[in-house]
Amino acid sequence: MPGFGQLALAIGQAAALLLLAPLASGFCRVLRAKIHTRTGPGFLQDYRDILKLLKRQEVVPKGAGIIFRAMPFILMATLLLIAMALPVLTLASPLDAIGNVFTFICLLGLVRFFFSLSGIDSGNTFAGIGASREATMGALMEPVILLALFVAALLAGSTSLGQISTSFRSLSGGSIAAEIAVLFAVAFAVFVEMGKVPYDMAEAEQELQDGPLTEYSGPGLALLKWCVGLRQVVMATILIGVFLPYGAAASASFETLLWAALAFVAKLVCVFLIVGVIENSVARNRFFLTSRSTWAGFGIATLALVFYLVGL
Amino acid sequence: MPLSLLALSVALYVGGAVASVVLPERGASWTVAITGGFGALLGIAASVPVLIDGHAVTAAIAGPFPFAHFSVRLDALAAFMVLTISLLAAAIAVFGAAYVEEEYAGRGIGAMGFFMNLFIASMMLVVVSDDAMWFIVFFEMMSLTSYFLVVFEQDDEAISAGWIYFLIAHAGTMLVLIAFLLLFARTGSFDFATFRSATLPAPVASVIFVLAFVGFGAKAGMIPLHIWLPRAHPAAPSHASALLSGVMIKIGVFGIVKVGVDLLGAATVWWGVAVLGFGAISSVLGVIYALAEHDIKRLLAYHSVENIGIILIGVGIGMIGIAAGQPALATLGLFAGLYHLLNHAVFKSLLFLGAGAVISRTHSKDMGRMGGLLHLMPWTALAFLIGALAICAVPPLNGFVSEWFTYQSLFIAALHGSSLLRLVAPLSAVMLGIASALAVMCFVKAFGVTFSGEPRSEPAAAATEVGWPMLIGMGWLAACCVMFGIGAPIVAPVIRDVAASLGGHGIEVANNFVVFPGDTGIGELSTPLMAVLLIGLAGVPLVITGLFAGRRPKPRIGAEVWACGYAPDARMSVSAGGFAEPIKVLFRPLYGVRSWADGCFAATRPWFATIPASAGRTEQYWDRWLLAPLGRGVQALGEQMQFLQGGDFRIYCLYIVAALIVLLAVAIG
Repeated sequence: MPGFGQLALAIGQAAALLLLAPLASGFCRVLRAKIHTRTGPGFLQDYRDILKLLKRQEVVPKGAGIIFRAMPFILMATLLLIAMALPVLTLASPLDAIGNVFTFICLLGLVRFFFSLSGIDSGNTFAGIGASREATMGALMEPVILLALFVAALLAGSTSLGQISTSFRSLSGGSIAAEIAVLFAVAFAVFVEMGKVPYDMAEAEQELQDGPLTEYSGPGLALLKWCVGLRQVVMATILIGVFLPYGAAASASFETLLWAALAFVAKLVCVFLIVGVIENSVARNRFFLTSRSTWAGFGIATLALVFYLVGL
Repeated sequence: MPLSLLALSVALYVGGAVASVVLPERGASWTVAITGGFGALLGIAASVPVLIDGHAVTAAIAGPFPFAHFSVRLDALAAFMVLTISLLAAAIAVFGAAYVEEEYAGRGIGAMGFFMNLFIASMMLVVVSDDAMWFIVFFEMMSLTSYFLVVFEQDDEAISAGWIYFLIAHAGTMLVLIAFLLLFARTGSFDFATFRSATLPAPVASVIFVLAFVGFGAKAGMIPLHIWLPRAHPAAPSHASALLSGVMIKIGVFGIVKVGVDLLGAATVWWGVAVLGFGAISSVLGVIYALAEHDIKRLLAYHSVENIGIILIGVGIGMIGIAAGQPALATLGLFAGLYHLLNHAVFKSLLFLGAGAVISRTHSKDMGRMGGLLHLMPWTALAFLIGALAICAVPPLNGFVSEWFTYQSLFIAALHGSSLLRLVAPLSAVMLGIASALAVMCFVKAFGVTFSGEPRSEPAAAATEVGWPMLIGMGWLAACCVMFGIGAPIVAPVIRDVAASLGGHGIEVANNFVVFPGDTGIGELSTPLMAVLLIGLAGVPLVITGLFAGRRPKPRIGAEVWACGYAPDARMSVSAGGFAEPIKVLFRPLYGVRSWADGCFAATRPWFATIPASAGRTEQYWDRWLLAPLGRGVQALGEQMQFLQGGDFRIYCLYIVAALIVLLAVAIG
C-alpha cells in the first residue's frame, strides 16, 4: 500500500495534468493558427469553452442509455487513475501497485471500451462508425504498444513503470540500439493514441462529425473535451516520463521536484510542438490504409526485440 | 469427509436426473433445480476444505472389473475443478428452473433435466477419477450426455452440429484411449498412481503426450480442432451452452494438465512449447472469427476458443518451466492458466446466460434483430456488461487479473528462459495483446448491437425483463466476476497452492492488498486499490459538473439523433456487420474476403466497371483444408470397404467361420 507522501504526490500530479490539459490543447490551437497565419483564439480558449459548455443544457438522444450518460465520468476517472500511476516528476511511480506496463495497457482497454460503446449507445450513425474505427485503431496499435513496452520491461528486468524509467535514465539495459528503437516505437504509438491528424480516425471531424462525440452536449461535452486533452497529455507523459526521464527526481524533495516540474513542462512543450508541426503538415490517412503505417510501427518494435536479443 | 460430501452431491444429481424423467413436467424442472442447487452446494463444501489444507483425499472401491478398481482421488487440482463446476452449476440450476419452463414447456423438460444433471455428475466424476478405465467411462458419459443437449432442439442446425460434435468427441476419446493403453502396456495397470511412478523412454512418453494433447485438445476446442465448438455450443439450450463453454471444454484443459504434468511430469521442453504455440494461435484466430459473427451465441462460442488459447498459454509456460527445471516459472505459468480457467468459466457462463435471457425475449439469435434492450431489460444488460468487461480484461475485474498474470508469466519466461523462449514468449505476448484488443472490439459490438440504440424488431421492442430466478443466476456469476477480480489478493494464494501442487514449488503471489508474480520487483498489482481509486476519481467529474448544475437548464431527454438533417431511422444505426467491417477488410486473407466487379450494373458497366462487392466466408480455410479432405477420405475409405458388404448372408456366414478359424489358430499357435 502506498504511503501518505506517495499518495499526495500521485494526487498532486493527476490534478496538475488535469488542470494542464486544456492549456495543452489550447497551445495546439494557437500553434495551428500560427501555421495557418491566423490570429487564433489564445492559449486559454479551451478553459473558456469548457466553462461555457458546463453551463449549457444537456440534450440526450432518444435511444441513448446509461452508458452514453456515464461514459464521460468513467473516461475521466480512468485517465486520472493512469495519471496518478505514471512517473511524472519522480523516476519511481508514486503508485507501484498500479504503475505497471500490463495494467497500463489494460486501462487503455477500459478507456477504449467505454469510449467506443458510447458511440453505439448514442444511436447516431456517425458515432457508430467512429466507435468502430476507435476499436479498430486499438487492435492495430496494440501489437506496437505491447511489444515496445514488453522490450522496455525486458531491458529494465521489471514490468514496473518506475523501474523502466530508472533503467532508461541510467541506460543500464545493456542494449543502446534496443533502447533507441523502443523510444521510436513508443513515440509512434503515443502519437497515434493522441488522435492527432493523420490518425484522428475516430473523431475525424470532416468525415464523421466528431465520431463518438457527435451526440454529446453541455456538461457531457465539456467533460469529453477535457478528457480528449487529458488523454493527449497522459500519452505524452508516458513518453517523456518513462522513456525520456531526464530531469526527473530520483528522490523526492521540494527542490528536486521543482526542477523536475520545470523539466517536465519543457519536455511537454517540445512534444506538443513536434506533434503540432506534424499534424498541421499532413493530411488524414485513408482509414483502410492506416494498417500500413501501424505495421511499420510494429516493425520498429520488432527491431527493438531483435536488438535486445542480440544485445546490440 | 470431503469424499462423502462429494458422493452425496453426485447422488443428488443422479437422483434428480432419474426423478426428472419420472415426474410430470412442472415438478421436473423444480426437482432438477433443487437437486442441482444442493448438489452444487455440496460440491463446494467438498472442495473447499481440500483446497485450503491441500491434502489429497483418496478412496478405492473394487468395481465389477478385476483389472480396474474404482479409485477416486480428490487432490488440489480435482478439488479446484469440482469447485469451478459447482460454482457454475449453482447458477445454472437457479437460472434453468425458470428458463426451461419459459422456453421449453411441453418439449421434453424431463429429458433435458435428466441429461443436464447426468452431464454435471459425469464431469465431477471425470475430474476425481484416479483410474484410466473409469476416467474414459466418465469422459465418454460426459460426451454422450452433452451430445443429447446439443441436439435437443431437433432442427437441422442442431442435428448437423450434434453429428460433428459426436464425431470429433469420439475421435478425441479414441486418441486418449490409445494413450492410456500405451501406458497400460508399459505398466500393466490402469491405475493413475502406477502411471505417475512409471519411467518411460522419452519417445514413448512423447507419443503418449501427443495423443493425449490432440485428444483433449479436440475436447478443449483448441484451433485447429475447434470446428465442432462454434456449431455445437450455439445449438444447445443456453444454460447448457453455459456449461459446455464454461466447464466442459475446461475438462479438455484439465486432461492436458493431468496427462502432461501430473502423469508424465512434463518431461520434455517442446511439449510446453507446443501447448504455448497452439494456445497463442487459438487466442488470436478465435477472436478474429468471433468478430465476423452476427449470431450472439456463435460469437460467444468463438470467444471460448480464444480463452482456451489464453489458458493454454499459461499451461504451456508452466510445462516449459517444469521441463527446463525452473519451478518458480512452472508454478507461475500453471497458476495463470488455472486462474484464467476459473475466470473464464465464470464470465463465459454469465455471458451465455445473459444471451439466453435475451433470446428468450427476442426469439432470435441474430443480434441484428435485437437492440434497445438496455431500457427494457436493465438488469440483464448490467449482468451482460459485467461479463463483457471481464472477458475484455478490463480492470479491476477477474479476467484482467488472470490475463495480467499470463502476461507476467510470459515476461518472466522471456527474461530468464532459453534462447527459443526469449523469442517465442514476446511474440506470444503480442498475440495475446492483439486478442484482447480485438476482444474489446467484439464485445463493444456484442453489447452495443444487442442492448443499445433502438429496437430493430417487433419482439425486441416488446421485450420485458426476465424473472427473478434467472436474474439471481446471472447475479451470482456477476458477483463472482467482481469478487475474483477485486478479491484477487485472497483468491490468488488458494489457486497458487493448486499450481504449486503441480509445479512443485511454492511462490509468493499475494501480500495484504497486492498481488505479484513471485517477486514484487517484477511488478505488482492491487485491484482493491484500483477499485477504490476508480470510484473515488469518478467523484472529480461529478463535482465539476455538479458545481454548475444550478446554472444550466434541466437536461432534455429524448431528442432525435443528428442525421445530417434527414429523419433518423433505427436502421441507420451501426449494424453488427458494419461495425466489424474494418477488421474484415484489414484481415481479409483470414476471412477469405474477395472483391469482384458486380455484374448487376450491366447497363452502366462502362462507368462503374470496378465497383467492388465483397463476399467472405468465415473460416473457409479450416473447412476447405481440414474438414473437407477428412470427410472425403472417410467417404473414400468407406467405399473401398463396401466390397465386404455383398448383401449375401452366405458371405457373412463365411466371414464368421473365417474369423473363428483365425482366432483358433491364434489361440493354439
